[in-house]
Amino acid sequence: MKSLPRGRHGLSREFVARNQLDRLLDSIAESLHEHGYDRTTVSVITAHARVSKSDFYRHFQNKDECFVAAYDDAVERLRREVTDACAGEAGWTERVAAALGAVLAFLAREPARADLLFVEGLRAGPDVYARFQKAVQSFVPALREDAPVPERGSAPGDGVAEAVVGGTASLLSRWILAGESEELEARFPEIAEFALTPYVGSDEARRMAARAA
Amino acid sequence: MRPALPREFIALHKRNRIMTALAELTAEKGYEATKISDVVKRAAVARKTLYDNFSGKEDVFLAAFDMTVEEAMSRVEESCAAAEDDWEGATEAGLEALLAYVAEQPAMARLFLIEAQSATPAASERYEQTVRRFVEMARRRLPHEEPLPKTLDETVVGGVAWILSQQVRRGKAEEAPELLAELREFVVEQYRAPAKEGAGKHR
Repeated sequence: MKSLPRGRHGLSREFVARNQLDRLLDSIAESLHEHGYDRTTVSVITAHARVSKSDFYRHFQNKDECFVAAYDDAVERLRREVTDACAGEAGWTERVAAALGAVLAFLAREPARADLLFVEGLRAGPDVYARFQKAVQSFVPALREDAPVPERGSAPGDGVAEAVVGGTASLLSRWILAGESEELEARFPEIAEFALTPYVGSDEARRMAARAA
Repeated sequence: MRPALPREFIALHKRNRIMTALAELTAEKGYEATKISDVVKRAAVARKTLYDNFSGKEDVFLAAFDMTVEEAMSRVEESCAAAEDDWEGATEAGLEALLAYVAEQPAMARLFLIEAQSATPAASERYEQTVRRFVEMARRRLPHEEPLPKTLDETVVGGVAWILSQQVRRGKAEEAPELLAELREFVVEQYRAPAKEGAGKHR
């Protein structure tokens, strides 16, 4: 993100503050990705963001507060991408495929935020971990909405939806941890097959996943 | 001559009490807020006894984690082994054993499924290793007919771990056995061999 012109520029104070905040949130995600948590100091974050330390402390009390804000921001960005991708899709299968595709595309495009969401966030203590699990769980109702009932057996319940969403999340975090976030999109068919199987059966899921890829 | 066994027995019992106390306190207020003084009080042992057995709080945590994982895993393995020839039956038996363990030991299950992931870096490393052991168990025990996704064992284990952690987080560990039918279907359907017609057409 570009820094603003110095000196008199006629930009509103809110605009400047918002721009600084965005730069700080970008910066901490990138610093964590490059240097890890311990070496991501306030000095590193502010230097990279080209924001003064006193401006940093206007927004946050400390690094951890900035971390949490960046975490929430990354969740929000991911959610927005998924919502937008699903908006044009009428059918359940298409919606699930669009959502999954959007998640993978976002994580591949933003490796620093992928790391923040799925790797750093899991190590940053109970508060951030609670955010991770809440974010993952928030996809459960969307998955269940209008879900088809498989030929054998009854409609999968909340437990199955949780297993699909949680299983996907744990696989994503494993790949991202292995430094493969940029190749995530190639993994679409196997995750789609896993996600669709409880609802349409494994044969149909395999066909649908191949078709949607 | 003093009998050696009872003393060892008492020592082991005290170790267990310390680990159980830590698990309970962690479940109640989180790892960070749990102090050694709370643990010795809850376990009703001397502070010195704790330090004779463990180097500190993290050591107690990791020992409790290892104990609960070994217990859960051996129960699952034994139940699966009893249904050796039938993978669907073995899946059900293994899941049933796991769910029963969660219901029986809610505090330990919480430490294993939730707290370990964020307590300390060593704990999350241990958690990861455990997940891999369960993945290997799935790989060994479940049928792998082409063309199942290569990562299926990981997603399935991750999914089961996630459901259980949510169940425990909601304070419903005791009702975990009610998830059996759903979990069984979830796992079995993922490994079902492709139907004859149209199978294998898409890689």
